[in-house]
Amino acid sequence: MQSKSFLQKIERPFVALFLIVGGVLVSVPFLWMISSSFKEESEVLNIPPQLFPSNPTFENYINLFQSLNFGVYLKNTLIIVLFSFLGLLLNAMAGYGFAKFNFKGKQKLFYIVLATMMIPAQVTMIPVYLLLNEMGLTNTMTGIVLPGLAVAFSIFLFRQFMTTIPNDLIEAARLDGAGEFYIFFKLIIPIAKPIFAVQGILTFIGAWNSFLWPLIIANDESLYTLSVGLSLLQGQYANNYALQMAGAAFMVIPIVIIFSFFQKYIVEGFTMSGLK
Amino acid sequence: MKGILKSVSQAKHGLMFIAPAVLILFVFSIVPIIIAFFISFTDLNLKGLADWSNISFIGFENYVELFSDELFHKSIYNTIFYVLIGVPLVIFFSLGIALLLNYGTSKLFTVFRAVYYMPSITNIIAVAVVWGYLYNTEYGLFNYLLSLLSADKIPWLTDPTIAKLSLIILAVWKGIGINMIIFLAALQGIPQSYYEAAKIDGANRFQTLFYVTIPLLRYATFFVTVTTLIGWMQFFEEPFVMTDGGPLDGTISIALFIYKNGFQFSEFGYAAAGSFILFIFIIVTTLVQFKVRKSDTEY
Amino acid sequence: MRKKSSIILGVCLLAISMVLGACSNSDNSSSDGSKEITVWAMGEEGKKLSELSKKFEEEHPDIKVNVQAIPWENAHDKLLTAVASQKGPDIVQLGTTWVPEFADAGALLDLSPHLEDYPEFKPDNYFEGAAESMTFNDEVIGVPWYVETRVLYYRTDLLKEAGYEEPPATWDELKEAATTLSDRGDDYYGLDIDQNDQITPFIFAWQNGYEIDAENNNLNFDSPEFREAMNYYHSYFEEGISQTTEGVDMVQAFKDGVKPMFFSGPWMINILNDQAPDLEGKWDVAVMPEKETNKSSIGGSNLSIFHNSENVDESLEFLSYMNEVETQLEWLEISNTLPSRVKAWEDPALSENKMLATFGEQLENTKAAPQLKEFEKIAQELLASIERINVGGADLDKELDDFSKKANEIIED
Repeated sequence: MQSKSFLQKIERPFVALFLIVGGVLVSVPFLWMISSSFKEESEVLNIPPQLFPSNPTFENYINLFQSLNFGVYLKNTLIIVLFSFLGLLLNAMAGYGFAKFNFKGKQKLFYIVLATMMIPAQVTMIPVYLLLNEMGLTNTMTGIVLPGLAVAFSIFLFRQFMTTIPNDLIEAARLDGAGEFYIFFKLIIPIAKPIFAVQGILTFIGAWNSFLWPLIIANDESLYTLSVGLSLLQGQYANNYALQMAGAAFMVIPIVIIFSFFQKYIVEGFTMSGLK
Repeated sequence: MKGILKSVSQAKHGLMFIAPAVLILFVFSIVPIIIAFFISFTDLNLKGLADWSNISFIGFENYVELFSDELFHKSIYNTIFYVLIGVPLVIFFSLGIALLLNYGTSKLFTVFRAVYYMPSITNIIAVAVVWGYLYNTEYGLFNYLLSLLSADKIPWLTDPTIAKLSLIILAVWKGIGINMIIFLAALQGIPQSYYEAAKIDGANRFQTLFYVTIPLLRYATFFVTVTTLIGWMQFFEEPFVMTDGGPLDGTISIALFIYKNGFQFSEFGYAAAGSFILFIFIIVTTLVQFKVRKSDTEY
Repeated sequence: MRKKSSIILGVCLLAISMVLGACSNSDNSSSDGSKEITVWAMGEEGKKLSELSKKFEEEHPDIKVNVQAIPWENAHDKLLTAVASQKGPDIVQLGTTWVPEFADAGALLDLSPHLEDYPEFKPDNYFEGAAESMTFNDEVIGVPWYVETRVLYYRTDLLKEAGYEEPPATWDELKEAATTLSDRGDDYYGLDIDQNDQITPFIFAWQNGYEIDAENNNLNFDSPEFREAMNYYHSYFEEGISQTTEGVDMVQAFKDGVKPMFFSGPWMINILNDQAPDLEGKWDVAVMPEKETNKSSIGGSNLSIFHNSENVDESLEFLSYMNEVETQLEWLEISNTLPSRVKAWEDPALSENKMLATFGEQLENTKAAPQLKEFEKIAQELLASIERINVGGADLDKELDDFSKKANEIIED
């Protein structure tokens, strides 16, 4: 018995140590990205790479804000983020529909949904563009957000998790006379909080970084997003790495904030009290 | 009677829930895929794109040509190589790290959740620059560490086979984050009562892990396996930024092959044909997984 | 209860339609009767172009210019969709290697009917190599905007140490100097050749007298001139004078003196000044070493009018303005790109800057990349063949025979 308690005693520090070592290894490129954003251009590509800038400078950031049409890009990016969260809701509903309802052809329909993940996006880019063109949606915000609202990956994830919600729970609510939407919003969403948190993070990152589609659809810089604006800083032959790292680091900050905000729901977990 | 009524209402509400998302997918994904399917039987190039009267139907010619295209064969071989090695590694590491992170709830563990997620949000240019350093044969950190152990230099990105492995390491590093948080969310979904029951039954830690935790994660594991496989079969970004398919075409993947033909050489018909072959590979793989899974019972 | 959720849904939908409605209000026609032309320009140049376009607007109050900057990386994708939907800009900036492809697709307006009216467009105004890129299939499909060419960058101090006061002027001298420099030690090289650069093998071939026989659609890749040039190119790798593996970043290697010579374009001047400030005064540029000729490549960007532009006259006006000598000199100051007009080089800003003057000298002796729409594919095949020879140890003659055959198949398709 005593050896077991000894094992238990060292287990925790051991796990912690393991995580720390792994964590440092894993985050080096990330740290390098941040530190490079404070370096002078002449220092960025030095060999051996230096983790810390020898003359920290804010010049890259100042440069960044001066050369970006910042307000417009941020506004567009935020609009896209907003709509992607609406899309998240649609995907959650679809996932719920596939998980908890029975109807003819459900399985086939679900396979078709999955099939949309299986073809490289580049192949469908031109057809999608031509469709939007036919609808008169090029150069509009609608054209930028609409194709991205439904995502098979997200529908599949919701379906997988909602399948694990006990049927009895839903049946009981129905017997109490609750409507289907009421059940979805008041019962299912609270239970599925962790998966909403995961999807919330993924959706935010996707929308925040949205790049190719806004660029293709927009015929006007007033529809550009932050990512598109940043990529304008890349030269044909020469790259200003320090400036790009500043841009990349700047793009990451909101993601870190969103991540720490949502992850508390992942940690809190299901409140399954009262369930079997 | 009641049963029929019930199934009618089930169908109605089910369709109501899935309709918005499925409709959007239909218009912006399924229809374009069907269009791309037709394109794969034509010689569409930039000239055809500008004026549709320049497009001609050439039957299976693109497909026939693909079967004799050595570069395409190479890209298939490489893709299989990536998938067979990379996918198990991603699943193993993301599950392992999720289990470790789930071990505690203190501040430390909260911070490390974010740390392990970082690679998946690091800008791809930063990734390319930093990993370029790590892998540089003469000056890279990895070979420097090896030289401390007086081991030989490894040509990380300059030998066709080793380069594939190097890209796999990079992709695993980058791919852990997303799957890890999915596993974490799933772990949170396991009711505490299950663990308590296992404890009462006298199960030790490993028994609990293998007989309680992992079986209960099967919905998440299935999801991660299916989506990771689909993602890796379309392996693209890593060879694109690190090696552009080289050395000696040793790292070119099917998706990169398609991209090069479609967007560098504007051979859209040929690229579409290539992507349908890839499409078929992925569908078959996915269907097999669903079939195997069928034997599992519902909750 | 159901009511509540449908209200929420309704409010959501209303909000969406309002936001979207507000955003899609991008009407292009201006109310005061003036015309608006749109210009697609790439990357940083696109961002800087609006400085010039404002001046143009002042001179032409009835024309408004809307410049849209497009990232280089994705410009090709963007142009494809524009071609497909027939919804392009009025004026587009095209890298010279892209011109044949889009010209062949009929995406660019033939300017020949307007040549008379705009003296700025005369081919004689431009460097010979740049003027070559103006025509495709007997149509004039663009005017050179700015140019670039490759020259030899070298470390003056290191060459001096090795006993060379002057930069190598011939192939033999280059080889000799490079060999001496690479003999300094195990990890030293003489000359860096970028194995991923598409135009470098052609530069060597041109210097050896190789030409494409465009009239007869003969690529001449099996000619002795081409073969010999590739042999010379390969010898640098075979003898360890050039590094076969990726090595360290070029600027760093130049700074450390590991690679004291390399070929590059005008952009490298700024990069070296920014990233290796300590090196000032220790390096210089020189024109290409000579074999039969000392030709280098010419590249850069052209400005073209999109085929279905509705504002052709206004666009021509803009094109003409951009290619005035004075505007080009102003552009040199703004963007650091080299003027395509020969006359601009008489200006002290260029003729009295020693390094830029070297570029000017080289520009007199250049060729454009072959005007083939399949050039990209052929060049990639060539690079792959060269890689198999240099890295994979394949037999040079056999590889080049295969390449020549493949290249002919590509253009016959």
